[in-house]
Amino acid sequence: MNDQPPEAGRGIEFGIDIGGTFTDVVCRRADGSIRLAKVPTSRADPSRAVLAALGTARAEWDVATAAITRFAHGTTVATNAVLERKGARIGLITTEGFRDVLEIGRQMRHQMYDLVLHTETPVFLAPGHLRREVRERVDAAGRVLVPLDEASVRAAVRALLDQEVQAIAVCLLFSFLAPAHEQRIAAIIEEMRRGLPVSLSSEVDPAFREYERTCATAFDAYVKPLVADYLANLEAGLARAGVGAPLQVMQSRGGLMSSAVARRRPVRLFLSGPAGGVVGGLDVGLAAGYRDLITIDVGGTSCDIALVSDGRPLIRAEGLIDGFTVRVPMVDVTAIGSGGGSLAWIDAAGSLRVGPESAGSEPGPACYGRGGTRATVTDASVVLGYIDPASFAGGTMRLDPALAEGAVRREVADRLGMDLARAALGIHRVLNAQMAEAIRLVSIGRGIDPRGYALLPLGGAGPLHGCALAEELGISTIIVPPHPGVLAAAGLLGAAVEHEVAAAFPHPCAGLDPALIRPALDALDARCRDLMRDEGLREADVEVGHAADLCYIGQSYWLEVPLRLDAADPVGEAYAAFLAAHDRVYGHAPPLPAKFVNLRSVHRSRTGRAAIGAGHDPGAAAPPTTRPVQVRQNPGPVPAAIWQRGAIRAGDRIPGPAIIEQVDTTTLVEPGWTASLGKGGALIIARDGTP
Amino acid sequence: MTTDFSTEALDPVTVEVTRHRLEGIANEMQATLLRSSFSPIVKEGLDASAGLFTADGQTLAQSCSIPIHLATLIPALKRIIETFPPATMAPDDTYVLNDPYCGGTHLPDIAVVQPVFAPGADQGGRIIAFAAAMTHHQDMGGLSAGSVPTNATEIFQEGLRIPPLKFRDRGVVNATLEAMIRQNVRIPDTVMGDIHAQVSACSIGARRLAELAGKQGDNALTAIFAELLDRSERMTRLALSKIPDGTYRAVDWLDNDGVELEKPIRIEVAVTIRGDSIHLDFTGSSPQVRGPLNCVPSGSLAGACYAVRALTDPRIPTNGGCFRPISLHLPEGTIVNPREPAPVNARTSTIKRITGTIIRALAEVMPDRVPAPSAGQMVIVAFGGRTPEGRPFVTGDLIAGGSGAARGSDGVDVIETDASNCMNLPAEAAEMETPIRLNRVALRPDSGGDGEYRGGLGTIREYEALMDELSFTHRGERHYSAAQGLFGGGPGAMSRSVIHRADGRVEEIPSKIVTRLNKGDRVVIETAGGGGYGNPAERSAAARAADRADGKVSPSASG
Repeated sequence: MNDQPPEAGRGIEFGIDIGGTFTDVVCRRADGSIRLAKVPTSRADPSRAVLAALGTARAEWDVATAAITRFAHGTTVATNAVLERKGARIGLITTEGFRDVLEIGRQMRHQMYDLVLHTETPVFLAPGHLRREVRERVDAAGRVLVPLDEASVRAAVRALLDQEVQAIAVCLLFSFLAPAHEQRIAAIIEEMRRGLPVSLSSEVDPAFREYERTCATAFDAYVKPLVADYLANLEAGLARAGVGAPLQVMQSRGGLMSSAVARRRPVRLFLSGPAGGVVGGLDVGLAAGYRDLITIDVGGTSCDIALVSDGRPLIRAEGLIDGFTVRVPMVDVTAIGSGGGSLAWIDAAGSLRVGPESAGSEPGPACYGRGGTRATVTDASVVLGYIDPASFAGGTMRLDPALAEGAVRREVADRLGMDLARAALGIHRVLNAQMAEAIRLVSIGRGIDPRGYALLPLGGAGPLHGCALAEELGISTIIVPPHPGVLAAAGLLGAAVEHEVAAAFPHPCAGLDPALIRPALDALDARCRDLMRDEGLREADVEVGHAADLCYIGQSYWLEVPLRLDAADPVGEAYAAFLAAHDRVYGHAPPLPAKFVNLRSVHRSRTGRAAIGAGHDPGAAAPPTTRPVQVRQNPGPVPAAIWQRGAIRAGDRIPGPAIIEQVDTTTLVEPGWTASLGKGGALIIARDGTP
Repeated sequence: MTTDFSTEALDPVTVEVTRHRLEGIANEMQATLLRSSFSPIVKEGLDASAGLFTADGQTLAQSCSIPIHLATLIPALKRIIETFPPATMAPDDTYVLNDPYCGGTHLPDIAVVQPVFAPGADQGGRIIAFAAAMTHHQDMGGLSAGSVPTNATEIFQEGLRIPPLKFRDRGVVNATLEAMIRQNVRIPDTVMGDIHAQVSACSIGARRLAELAGKQGDNALTAIFAELLDRSERMTRLALSKIPDGTYRAVDWLDNDGVELEKPIRIEVAVTIRGDSIHLDFTGSSPQVRGPLNCVPSGSLAGACYAVRALTDPRIPTNGGCFRPISLHLPEGTIVNPREPAPVNARTSTIKRITGTIIRALAEVMPDRVPAPSAGQMVIVAFGGRTPEGRPFVTGDLIAGGSGAARGSDGVDVIETDASNCMNLPAEAAEMETPIRLNRVALRPDSGGDGEYRGGLGTIREYEALMDELSFTHRGERHYSAAQGLFGGGPGAMSRSVIHRADGRVEEIPSKIVTRLNKGDRVVIETAGGGGYGNPAERSAAARAADRADGKVSPSASG
């Protein structure tokens, strides 16, 4: 990877995704060539890993930091602050009578059969003593019923400042219709403590349902100081290293924003990492000629499932962070507790079960030789011959096949009275069954038949399971990206800069005058334009899209549809689109009265180019070797061709059984499937007998 | 365990993979049901479930979003199989019923059942299973919109009764039956739409299971069904055998039946653990009541199944095998086994109390697992009338109380417990859609039972009528009997609901009421707290200080 000529010109782009364990780096030169690296994440100060990556680039790739023109970043800083409860001490200000909304929530529980219950709401954000009420009230039409009592505001703010809060969240009833009271409170706070971070619900999440809005606003305030410090550290570090390019950060919905804007809207960073993965998957799929994709990212302890429909990632209006609902738009990723580290065990009636308990990274699978004694999916993969113990992770880590065999034999084979290979295949079959059912449920729940989609397996462990999953789901094409292990970083380079601003617009469709919509959209566009200007983007490069959230009157959940004001009948068109979307998602669409709920403006600028065709040095065209593997289609071991990914040339056809090895993953081509190189450098695995 | 599994004929991997497929099919049926239903009660209340059953009616896999549905399809299956001999069934036949005295639960719940034939049915394939779905319908006719009248005194007032009938014959809908249903309900399009969603769910289930039989062979597949049931039974019995043998008793109360307001309703249960079985005897419970709180046997069975599922190893796959060790004694003519034509529509309150009482009975022998009693209430309020624009409206709210404290943890404030799991109504949603304003949504201080671990708090909600002539229904519980503490813990506060009339009069609601509200009238509802756990003297000073700082206990309160 380091035998390229020194890069002298400018135009170098960096994508860095910081995950829990590894930091992935993708560097692209002006000529489109790509370099990749994986460095351990430094938990104490993740920005150190970024600087270490820059060091690598300088030393090994001969990249002059001054030549870097783009620096895009995916980060877990906001998510970790919540998982580790390390956010700021915040105060929450509410309308009189509604102090406890944050703690009461919607009163539903997630674990139905647990007798001993645990709180379902993020009380830790602002327990009772940090929540204050102010006297004011706005009604459902946005009219002021009780004017804001500023003395009560000053008393509340004074009390919170005395309690040494580091940020304040404000959520008043119906502020999404009339934000003046919240804005006045922000002004009073600024007056009383200059520079104290404040989050207003009318800016963070201007939509109805007070609990959800309060949560989003409180989470925003909770992570705000930490995110600001983190980004400031990182920017200072980049400046010291001589990087002049602005820092861009990935948002949960799959667009980039500048760090200056990210500081103001930190609640939009919770799915920063997974969003990069989905955008990366989308780029690879599009390059290979596929617009409908199911991505499955199989990691150590869990796997993430996401859908791309007609070239767009599915976005959802709210998601879960650490089990709590956060209503901000995010890529629609579903996680289940199955992965390479999932433990196999025998239940009291003698059934083979896999997960949800996992060996994690410590001690990890038995074959890591770090003290793990229980059998994991990865141990089964070693037993079956899929993973070469000598060349795991590009040879950086040696696995012990005897330990893998011992664990699978002791924990599974002996207890079930099976031979070793059948036990290991059994572990794979059970895991694959779980993942296949999860994919099926995710797609069916969104009105999508998985059979028309291509499967895009990611993560270190994904490509081992692609064929089995595709077969179970009736999918006939699998796309293995050039670098499934660092796809989130690659996605950063392909993502657009994007800003989205929404506002409540509660009007029934019937009799709605489009002339009312225009000024509302203009206001949203103006805010987006300001944000895009802050990004340094020219208006000519910006693509503007409008959307509306609609629901049937009486329903409280809405669907987003495109809105075109230049259409002959924009309201009628939106209503028709709503019916079509309702039919797709819910299976029927009666022609009943519906209403507008929110308007949304999205401004995006595709500054990036997809980072595809990426980075496999065409190694020597060495002929493949063979080694015996066990596959479910055969009772005994079969010889499989072992290919190095870099040695595969256009036109090569690789029928299963075959193994394709590369630094960041191992791909299993099962009998009945054939792999070949696709457009954009992806590996396409097609079911034999399909065109 | 020392069992040698190598002698088993069935491959344990195939058995486990098949189990995931069956659960996947049940989930797909449920997703289809939720996706294609229209009524908000299904979409947002998730009051529906679907599943697969063996040819003799045992649960294979069921996807349910609320525990009240657990096992409730079993009596329906049994009744359908008795009424229509399987030998007479054909592919794409579909059966329906809703009558609680013929295998149903209460009239809004319609069960839909379809036989699943092995591939090659035309050449005499056999029934290998049933697919079934149950949905709570928005209306079934009768005395009041929504078909849950609190003042019903016989089932005929509660709506249309459907005995076991054939709804589709080889895929062709029975037009007579459909016309009959349409004529008897207030919103025929919605009801029929939801019934067809149930039919779609069953068809998907039947198709998927037939595909699986085609792949694995129907004999092999039904052998796996039997094995799966046996395995869950074995694991459940193993878990039950770890509970000390003995008979454990508990008593709790419902406020009244909504008709005879002075008469509390007693729920008494004796739970006998003998070896690896569990027997529940409800002798001592109140005779059946005039109002609609009577509960047909499927409700007690759901409560028992919930208890067994919650008290044994949660990793045991749920199917009919788990229910085999359960037996019930439900004395006829009592609240838990009423005689026709007693009204039953409000039986959710009863199932909740039955479930809580069963769990409570086992507290002494499972002190680590069983918390103090919860408020176990779901206050139902309903408002109806006209908006300022003249549009008719009906809206409702479901309000929880606090959960009981447990060894090592305080109860949770305002949380759904036991058999139900519903969301409350956002203040902003209420006010945007209807002339109802919420003035207050708060925790209710001092309502959690004291103890080393404090019971969860109830809530205070204040509603104000913004128009005249609104109808108002309130179905409360825990107004006259508290959630008791455990092992020295104190009881939670009882519920209290009051109407403050605009003219200054104050009316206390006797747990249940149907009345009218005028502009400016306010209703203040305070729900009950959960019981405390352990001696209050053992509660840490830090916990007491935090309670006071956070306003959960008022400074004036003792302790």
